[in-house]
Amino acid sequence: MEERISVKFGGQSGQGINLLGQLISRALKESNYHVFGYREYPSIIKGGFASYQIDFGSSEILSPEKKCDILACIAQEALEEYLFTVSSNGVIFHSVKDFEFSEKAKEYINKNSIKVIYIDLKKMAQQQKAPAIMENMIMLGSIWKVLGQDIKTLTDSVVKYFSKKEGIDIEAEKRCLNAGYSLEEIKDDEIKDVPKSIDKNWEKSLILTGNQAVALGAISAGCRAYYAYPMTPSTPILELLGDTYMKTGILVKQAESEITAVQMVLGSMYMGARAFTATSGGGFDLMTESISMSAMTEIPLVIVLGQRAGASTGLPTWTGASDIDVAVHSGHGEFPRCVLAASDPIESYELIQEAFNIAEVYQLPVILLTEKHVAESMFNISNLPKAKKIKRGLSQNGTKRYLVTKSGISPRWLPMPGRKTYLTNSDEHDEYGVSSESDIDTKIMTEKRMKKVETLSKTIPAPKYFGDKDPTIVFVGMGSVKNAVLDAMKISRRRIGYLHYKYIYPLKYEKILQFAKDGVKIVLIENNFNNGFGRLIKEESNFYITNTLKKYNGRPFFVDDILEYLKQ
Amino acid sequence: MKVNLQDYNTDIKNTWCPGCGNFAIHMALKKALVDLGKHPREVVMVFDIGCNGNGADKIEGFRVKGLHGRAIPLAVGCHLANRKMTVIADAGDGGVLHEGIDHLIHAVRSNYDITLLIHNNESFSLTTGQITATTKKNKPMYAFPDGKTEGDINIGELVLSLNPSFYARGFSGDPNGLSEIIKAGIKHKGFSVIEIVQICPTYSPENSLDFLKSKMINVAPTDDISKALKRVTNKEKMYTGVIYQNKKIKDYYSNLKNRKDKKSELVNEVKNYSISSILSDLE
Repeated sequence: MEERISVKFGGQSGQGINLLGQLISRALKESNYHVFGYREYPSIIKGGFASYQIDFGSSEILSPEKKCDILACIAQEALEEYLFTVSSNGVIFHSVKDFEFSEKAKEYINKNSIKVIYIDLKKMAQQQKAPAIMENMIMLGSIWKVLGQDIKTLTDSVVKYFSKKEGIDIEAEKRCLNAGYSLEEIKDDEIKDVPKSIDKNWEKSLILTGNQAVALGAISAGCRAYYAYPMTPSTPILELLGDTYMKTGILVKQAESEITAVQMVLGSMYMGARAFTATSGGGFDLMTESISMSAMTEIPLVIVLGQRAGASTGLPTWTGASDIDVAVHSGHGEFPRCVLAASDPIESYELIQEAFNIAEVYQLPVILLTEKHVAESMFNISNLPKAKKIKRGLSQNGTKRYLVTKSGISPRWLPMPGRKTYLTNSDEHDEYGVSSESDIDTKIMTEKRMKKVETLSKTIPAPKYFGDKDPTIVFVGMGSVKNAVLDAMKISRRRIGYLHYKYIYPLKYEKILQFAKDGVKIVLIENNFNNGFGRLIKEESNFYITNTLKKYNGRPFFVDDILEYLKQ
Repeated sequence: MKVNLQDYNTDIKNTWCPGCGNFAIHMALKKALVDLGKHPREVVMVFDIGCNGNGADKIEGFRVKGLHGRAIPLAVGCHLANRKMTVIADAGDGGVLHEGIDHLIHAVRSNYDITLLIHNNESFSLTTGQITATTKKNKPMYAFPDGKTEGDINIGELVLSLNPSFYARGFSGDPNGLSEIIKAGIKHKGFSVIEIVQICPTYSPENSLDFLKSKMINVAPTDDISKALKRVTNKEKMYTGVIYQNKKIKDYYSNLKNRKDKKSELVNEVKNYSISSILSDLE
């Protein structure tokens, strides 16, 4: 694969792998490259193996590839785990003293002409009079040299990063970078095929994760309270909103459970503040009774569901997209809802704002799906779009809180002095909110609430089409799969199209039917086993997509996965 | 604006059993709110599910009837969004001690400025008389003819063990006294837990008005926790009144550093905010 290079850092959890990934991403961006950062880490605090892979190129990179050109490992387990992912003519840096490569490893290294460089980081750091914590900077300097980049850009970028932190010996950091860069063993080494950076203003672009974008979107949209219980991969939303709370004035509350969090959201939304919560599958399951309550009481609700792999506790720190079913179908009784899905920071930023607008205007629960791969990967984007206009659908006052209307949407006015009081009721009720078990009220109110799906469906945008005007094959998907398919399009010579869904429910399926009618090969691409999205399409459109490309091993789609599929 | 008891009445037919303690509890609550000059439009009442929750349409105010066990966090969400409103959570011994006991514990330690009324009738009554943590030993209950196997929870003892700011006990057989207690609870700046010993003629007939009255002793508030503990653990007598009050513990919202100088409420702050300075911090 040309036009892109991949650097993978490997180490134990807690050895500073994330920081290395962030520093090199920034420096590459400053050098006018486009970057994508993909994290793998275990669900433990110390030990195991973790990696941060940075893919970069002179044009847009949206997904990782399976192989890496440079592997830099600071722990034995990671070295053993990732050794076989190094491309031919690649470079392995490591600092594992007296490491014995297995016969299999030696054969792989020889066959692929991989260069192995051991760096005694401990000794070098001592020589530079730098503390052990700066050993990684030596490794960073060496990688930078092998990438053929200017040391000044790296140094400036690292200095800029650390200048915000307190108690850092910046001169020692610089000495370490330089020592790594000037390492004797690599003085003539440079990775071939590093693309030339082209001035596309990438140095002015942003590097953001999906989680950060969700938090930023919520701030933009006037969210004033965030209630959450920690759960990977959504916890960093709490981090950003917590770290910025003095600036934003947002009330940030770590609740005693997911049930508490979602109930607090409902309370604040009922009063008229904007509030939301974020969780992952297990926490979401605990919230489902409240989703049903939101729909019945018509109190707006916004939940971010960050998907990870596996049932039950599963693989807490790995990715997948197997919660489409619970997002669309969870909760007892029949009720309206809206489900959205984000593939990257821009969509995360836009859709959380959209989620507040839809929840308030339609007075129903809105679930925004993300995935670990979207939530925690580092995306390089030119900028965030302008904030969306806030739509609340509020009335000044009223008499019947659950007035039957053509659209199904009743007037909602906020509880405050001077306004007419009313009962917001989770029991079936009449137009005033008074509990009712009458057959007529039950029928009318059920119809009124369900009508909102139809009304909402009229305003939902159609899925976006990417790719060839006259495709022979069209992938259909939602969430992070978009990024791997779009990257594959840039490489493959085949006439490929991709139909991307951000609005999952209500579902717009007309375009799929059109492609089917035109005789185009349609392929469902999903990061799960059971094709939850495909089954939703079947449920809504009665059209069954038989071709599927699926992956359910806790890993995202790499660009290679798509290219291999296309070769078949 | 002058407010009177009629402002709190609704024309919805009552569905409680004759002699149910809920009639008196509603009377006491209405009187407390009127005495404090609170108009129904300034009051948010959050109801649990059960006989108490069936009172949601029988009293005026902004009312939310939510899920079983969840009245406390729902009420807290309301309170934090707009502190200009008086927020009351209304639940039973089932909702508070069973389905939602975690909420009680965390609300006490968080000291949110709301008032919690626990209707303690020693039974899940709306579902026709099942065991709760306050049901007496050996008393035949639904599906358990020989009574409960588990032990009890003494609400006062539990709450006092959590460093609360306010715990009171009232009695549905003494609506005037209860009304005074509710007033004190609403006025208290913090989480006011009010346990109400509630007469349930259908499922706890042994707790007759005369029997309970003979056990009641009204006491003045104390800030001495060991004294308060003695009051709630007394097996012979039942102390009523504000059993314990500690005015020194600040309420949750007052402890929020980022809300300290804000004059407005969260509900008044929904608008587009610029994120540019946060973005530059992330760089």
